[in-house]
Amino acid sequence: MINVSKKCIGCNKCVPVCPFAAVQLIDKKAVINEACTLCGACVQVCPVQAIEITREEGATRDLTGHKGVWVFVELMENHDKTKHSHKIRPVTFELLSIGRKLADELGEELAAVLLTDKNAGFEKELGAYGADKVYLVENPELYEYNTDIFSTAIIALTHKHKPSAMLYGATIMGRDLAPRVASCLYTGLTADCTGLAIKDGLLLQSRPAFGGNIMADILSPKSRPQMSTVRPNVMKLAEPIYGKIAVTVREDIKIDKSLRRVKVLERKLIHDKGSVKIDEARIIVSGGRGMKTKEKFKQLEEICQLLGGVVGASRGAVDMGLKDKAHQVGQSGTTVSPKLYLAFGISGAVQHIVGMKASDIIVAVNKDPNAPIFNVAKHGVVGDAHEIVPKLIEALKKQK
Amino acid sequence: MPSMDAISRNLMLDSLRDYARKNIPYDFIREKDQANEFPDKVLKDMYDHSILGVHLLMVPEEYGGVSGGTYDIYRICEALAHIDLGIATAVFATFLGTDPLNVGGTEDQKKKWLQRIAKENLMVAYAATEPDAGSDLVNLRTRAEHVLKNGQLAGYRITGNKQWISNGGVADLYTVLALAPGGPCWFLVERNMEGFAPGKHEDKHGIRLSNTAALSLDNVYVPKENLIGEVEGQGLLQAQAVFGYTRVMVAAFGLGAGWEAVEQAVRYSQQRIQAGGPLSDKQGYTHKLIVPHAVKLEAARAYIEETSNRLDGGEHGLQTEGAIAKYSATEAGNKAADDAIQAFGGYGYTRDFPVEKIKRDIKITCIYEGTSEVLEMTIYRGRWQEHLKSRGRYYIDLADRMDALHDRNPEVGARAAGLALRALAAVMEECRVQKLTRHQAITFRLGRLISMCELAYVFAGASAKERYSESVRFDTQAWQAMSRIFARDAALQMATEGLAMVLGSVDTAGNIAAAVDMDGVQAVQKGMMADMDLVAVKLKQTFKAK
Amino acid sequence: MHIAVCVKQVPDTTEVKINPETGTLIRAGVPSIINPYDHFALQTAIELKKAHGFRVTVISMGPPQAKSVVQMGLALGADDGVLLSDMAFAGSDTWATSYAIAKAVKKLGKVDIILAGMQAIDGDTAQTGPGVAQQLGIPQVTFCVKIDVDGRKIIARKLIDGGYEVVETRAPALFTMIMPPDYTSKYPAFLDVHASLRKPYHVWSASDIGAENHYLGLKGSPTQVARIYPPPQREKAAMTNGSSQEAVEKILDIMRKEHFIE
Repeated sequence: MINVSKKCIGCNKCVPVCPFAAVQLIDKKAVINEACTLCGACVQVCPVQAIEITREEGATRDLTGHKGVWVFVELMENHDKTKHSHKIRPVTFELLSIGRKLADELGEELAAVLLTDKNAGFEKELGAYGADKVYLVENPELYEYNTDIFSTAIIALTHKHKPSAMLYGATIMGRDLAPRVASCLYTGLTADCTGLAIKDGLLLQSRPAFGGNIMADILSPKSRPQMSTVRPNVMKLAEPIYGKIAVTVREDIKIDKSLRRVKVLERKLIHDKGSVKIDEARIIVSGGRGMKTKEKFKQLEEICQLLGGVVGASRGAVDMGLKDKAHQVGQSGTTVSPKLYLAFGISGAVQHIVGMKASDIIVAVNKDPNAPIFNVAKHGVVGDAHEIVPKLIEALKKQK
Repeated sequence: MPSMDAISRNLMLDSLRDYARKNIPYDFIREKDQANEFPDKVLKDMYDHSILGVHLLMVPEEYGGVSGGTYDIYRICEALAHIDLGIATAVFATFLGTDPLNVGGTEDQKKKWLQRIAKENLMVAYAATEPDAGSDLVNLRTRAEHVLKNGQLAGYRITGNKQWISNGGVADLYTVLALAPGGPCWFLVERNMEGFAPGKHEDKHGIRLSNTAALSLDNVYVPKENLIGEVEGQGLLQAQAVFGYTRVMVAAFGLGAGWEAVEQAVRYSQQRIQAGGPLSDKQGYTHKLIVPHAVKLEAARAYIEETSNRLDGGEHGLQTEGAIAKYSATEAGNKAADDAIQAFGGYGYTRDFPVEKIKRDIKITCIYEGTSEVLEMTIYRGRWQEHLKSRGRYYIDLADRMDALHDRNPEVGARAAGLALRALAAVMEECRVQKLTRHQAITFRLGRLISMCELAYVFAGASAKERYSESVRFDTQAWQAMSRIFARDAALQMATEGLAMVLGSVDTAGNIAAAVDMDGVQAVQKGMMADMDLVAVKLKQTFKAK
Repeated sequence: MHIAVCVKQVPDTTEVKINPETGTLIRAGVPSIINPYDHFALQTAIELKKAHGFRVTVISMGPPQAKSVVQMGLALGADDGVLLSDMAFAGSDTWATSYAIAKAVKKLGKVDIILAGMQAIDGDTAQTGPGVAQQLGIPQVTFCVKIDVDGRKIIARKLIDGGYEVVETRAPALFTMIMPPDYTSKYPAFLDVHASLRKPYHVWSASDIGAENHYLGLKGSPTQVARIYPPPQREKAAMTNGSSQEAVEKILDIMRKEHFIE
């Protein structure tokens, strides 16, 4: 239900922002017609809080007719200036890979939701990774991410097409957008899922909680779409089937400039190779206190170059000044989940372990056979990192 | 002063712990310990009312303090002891030095000095001990002579030497005990007064971060307003009046430092693999080196808490209780630290691990503020009076209460505690009948047995409570198992030692063998091994390997 | 300007224990702390107060003992504090929590800036902040490391994927905060803790904030916890002891087997 109270001053701010032309000004009062999808765009711009959306109680909501698994397509700036200005962030493909399985299990379709100022044939890649359909909103206002604009567009789309589930990358963008959408739709959102499955027709979402000390299975039985965010590198990437093209469905959603309430003044992306995003890295070579000196720590960077990985560091190493904080893995640093995590001279304090134990394969080298890191490692090597690292570099060089 | 609300207290504890985490790592302590250096920056921060202001606990609100009660001070002292006992002692010395003022100062004196202590972050020292006057202040040599002006008393000239004064070399203000013509009294002496000179920092076995120095006073003139209470001869009474809770503070030191050692050992034992498994899973290790100490420390905690709460509730003195609290906690802590070294094996004997330092530090808690032996005597004296006054009923009444508690809650070891108390009553009565207290050794030993039995009594009561206090880090199951272990041990020791003590000093023993009820004591030992196993597991859960 | 800071009391997750038999959490004896991200948000608010003379209100939701984090805020310099405490709130997920906090903010009257931690360490969801902003219909800026205020204009430096942005918005707005690398947490001095007892502190129930019960607690929460279980135990590491050359061979072997190298 949406209501306009007596507080309305007839300022006309809400009329242009409505993506569906559902608000009119009649007798200097906002009046909302049946085209309204409860997206909340008007509520956000109302200066006197005259518009209020009351949500249906969970128990009485009609969930029939919600079908399909959606994946939010996250775009990122393309470093390669010879190509299109944006490209699809890899986590999107991971979401499509798992989304495909979920959709098959449900016998429903998998759709990608693409919001952009200019589509550059993205549907080809999205199709290759499993999308049946791409809902495309192309609008000049979508040139960069903006919470209000993106959430309004997605809310409008979900009202129109009623998906049953929707997945987002647990990136900074995804974690900004998804809760805004979920809040407006009064629907369940589960963050940082490490497992997704279908159980009795519902999306069963598994996630760690309490610093990774326990796992929880979460359901959102009373509301749709059931929404989840998933960290990069958590879901297995499917083999792409090139040539499988998704059907593009163009959606015309009006986006008014006044919805942009947060403006970007400056943006800096860190492009140099050494500082590839650690939370998206496929291989991380990490060092701890045991590396002792900056020089020795630098050797880990050499291994990274040889393997194509990113350098990580324990809090101890950061505290000793061996590496800057941007590389810190752990509770007070970054949580990572690479395919390979090589740990040198890291004893494995709990606060480090919670930040890296989701890694696929952990190989740890430590002098102390009782180091707790061996409790989470798949392979443990008892030995001196200072001897092993140079020899490993040598061997890897020979490989090339 | 009644104690403050739990939330405020715990916020202060959090601030203190956070400060320590950021500023007092073990490497720092180790360096200072080896160099025998006072960490002046740390203490400055602790005394800075805009950074921490720990000293404000002893200053009432109206003078710019935070009005800490005994319970608050116990909790802070325990936390300080976890950090470093030397640093703890430096804070404690100010508490102690402020005491005579709090207890005996006139309104004007409190206003002037307590406000200065609060606002100017003054570090205080408590100067009582002399080369010939330790626990026994009768030989006090420091003299305060009248200085007259126009025939009126204007002030005093103090002359003498003080020894082993904590903060002696670094304090801003000293509360000095001296013999005036009207008897012993406390004087406020400022560091910059003429004729006052601190000696060099002592080279001590432990608490090396605490500055300890001799003081020399050579005709130091203090105005008569600096005589605490402005009446001569009140000094010893003023000192005695606070023994209850100053001893609770040192008890908290034994508790905190002792637990720090045990915690370190528990964490280590889970990482150290020997003969195919961690040491923490081996009974021969845990049931000897860890569990008994954890149990004794928690029994001492229960007693400290009860004594603190009684003092905060307005009871005065509680000298015997303060003595029992300090004696039990510091002896338990000292032995726990000793076994913590053993628990670490060769590593424990090196300075790479803190247990070696804790062991050296904690020894002082069995010495200062009344040596363990002086306390044994104090405890015996206090309770012997009760025994006589009540015609032998004192401990029998407590035993009856334990039996009643056992009927309500059979899980807390109250039956065993009751047996211990009955045996104690019987042994004391036999000592009276046979006049055995002429042997000093028996009186001191009674002091020890009394402490143990009273701890069993208090621990059983505390562990039966529905909700435990904020300081208890164990669940009901664990704390009650600890109480049972303690009570069984108390009953067994009381019965065997009490009996042996009497039999060793008389020709014909009366009915004492039957009175200690050895059969009953043996019967309650049932379940001991299972409880020890349980506590070992709980300790492991509570203090995970880091 | 009036700042509301949202803080949460959380168990120190580094100290959380698991009962190995039942796989459940042991909360007894686990210290409760202020969520570190909220701690930073609180410090940011206090700094803005010092610089501009703003009023700062601390808000928390939780059981009565959560008063602790509100009082900590007061001790660090906030002007007044509110604890939302009511059995009706128990079991609220992030949606229901956002709903209650938004209601409480409305009751406070004109609030210009809302600050909150980016996420709480017990749940790691990062959803409550945006939820509150949405329910209030105000803009949100998440993952902020710095906030500057100039009149009604607010400039925030925030993290984005792969870098950072400087953004501008106008009050009222909500910001979620994440600690920059050079951050140090501040704790109150004893005297400030003591003085905080005299500052205005209120406990509000669901009816005090005009919240409707069916939006609160388990009933009002769209998500439901179906099961809690211990994380899958990894098998013990396959251990290699030997010369450093053997160790290198072993590492290369593993990487080959898993196709990280040829």
